[in-house]
Amino acid sequence: MAWNSRRNRSSGLWAFVVQNRLFVLLFVAAVVLLSASRGQGELTALVRGASDDVAASAMELVAGPAAEANRWIEGVGTFLSVYEENQRLRDENARLRMAQGELGELQRKVRRYEELLRVPTEAPVGGVAGRVIADMSGPFVRSVLVSVGREQGVVNGQAVVDDRGMLGRIIGTGKRSSRVLLLTDLSSRIPVIVEGANLKAILAGDNSDQPTLEYLPPGSRLTAGARVLTTADGGVLPPGIVVGIVVKGTTSPRVSLFTSERRADFVRVLKYQAPVDVDSEPEVPPPAAPVPSTVPSSAGGAAVAPLPSAGLTTAPVAMQVEGVQAR
Amino acid sequence: MIDIIHAAYVQVAQVCWRALPLLFTVFLMLAFCIPVHLLQGTVPTPNIALAAVFFWAMNGPTFMPPWAVFLTGLVQDLLSGTPLGFWVVLYLIAHGFTLTQRVFFRGRTGIGAWLGFALVTALVACTSWLMGMMMLERWLDPMPLLLEAVVTLGFYPLFARVFMLLRRMLTTAPESL
Repeated sequence: MAWNSRRNRSSGLWAFVVQNRLFVLLFVAAVVLLSASRGQGELTALVRGASDDVAASAMELVAGPAAEANRWIEGVGTFLSVYEENQRLRDENARLRMAQGELGELQRKVRRYEELLRVPTEAPVGGVAGRVIADMSGPFVRSVLVSVGREQGVVNGQAVVDDRGMLGRIIGTGKRSSRVLLLTDLSSRIPVIVEGANLKAILAGDNSDQPTLEYLPPGSRLTAGARVLTTADGGVLPPGIVVGIVVKGTTSPRVSLFTSERRADFVRVLKYQAPVDVDSEPEVPPPAAPVPSTVPSSAGGAAVAPLPSAGLTTAPVAMQVEGVQAR
Repeated sequence: MIDIIHAAYVQVAQVCWRALPLLFTVFLMLAFCIPVHLLQGTVPTPNIALAAVFFWAMNGPTFMPPWAVFLTGLVQDLLSGTPLGFWVVLYLIAHGFTLTQRVFFRGRTGIGAWLGFALVTALVACTSWLMGMMMLERWLDPMPLLLEAVVTLGFYPLFARVFMLLRRMLTTAPESL
């Protein structure tokens, strides 16, 4: 009986396969496509860039009205608390006026100290402004589309900020649009520093609204509310971009971000170049001059005898050895 | 000669006509990417493509054949940034499962169809969770997926009404043409 039912079931599946050959063929094609695109190769990046451009063309038409609708939606929420909001802004304004005087004095002091210590001043980071035109976040990938691309000089890895703080990094570029990987995404990792404690860490997204702080030094103590800023470690991000504040997490400290895809409208893609001087091509020393015949061969051998163990210098030294031996 | 041209015209018109559900689904998918954050963005975007795949597999597979499901998945992959083929596989699973269970769902409206969609949504959510963990090689929090599934389920009756209007137009209009 059980065998019969199993046979019936398998024959039903076989009948489905026979009747839906196109479906089966497409399913196999989909599995092959999935296996092939796992590596995220150059072709996949090109296809994604082109499709983002197509989507961006359609989205740009509605980006303006959508932003206006967002302002209206936000406005409805704040309308009910307009009196409290006004009081809060007045208090904040008074505090900021007091802080403004101190800030000017501190800036003068810092400039003077920098002059005395001959600290090289950092060049201002240039950038290009764009607009968030599509929110493509899902349960697996958190990303948005911005209206600037390769034509505006946007390249992968550049930081994207708005007036509140850092939003994410560019992970794909089209001709006139780019995809931004949000800081909350599972794959997002950026180097940060916790202000005050001066502790360096990695801000790791986990698809929640508050990314975690990882690789903190053991035994480090953090204060809730301390600001988290980017560092230039790795030479990818400009230092000092505000990211968020430290909040207490269940297992590890988390960061409440200053901005998110829900708030971002106009953004700026920062074209930062790390001030690192690395020669593009290593200088190859000229071939060893022929050893004069008057020099005894044993002397030449002694001069090159202590071979350094560092791999980079092995080749030139080896050439010298060969040159001497050839004589 | 005129007959051949007429036959070709009819063939092309039929393909375009049958592609309308696919085009409408893609249009809705793009519309749901517009960054308007109702309820402060706390509610995730419903999976409109899954609702379309289920609806057409149940109420008219000829209007969304496997190739159209394939393209819908591809568009979803390109929009969401998942590896190409990820949503294609999931939508084809949903399409195939609905086709095999169609005999139970056919003719059912309201709660019956909704329960059928709940079953398909649960299947897709579980499969996508497992596939996501396999692809990313790490543990994934199932909560965002669960939330998206619940929201999609909640929105289904609305989507079904819109798709039903399109289906009526598709089935009645050819006779009037």
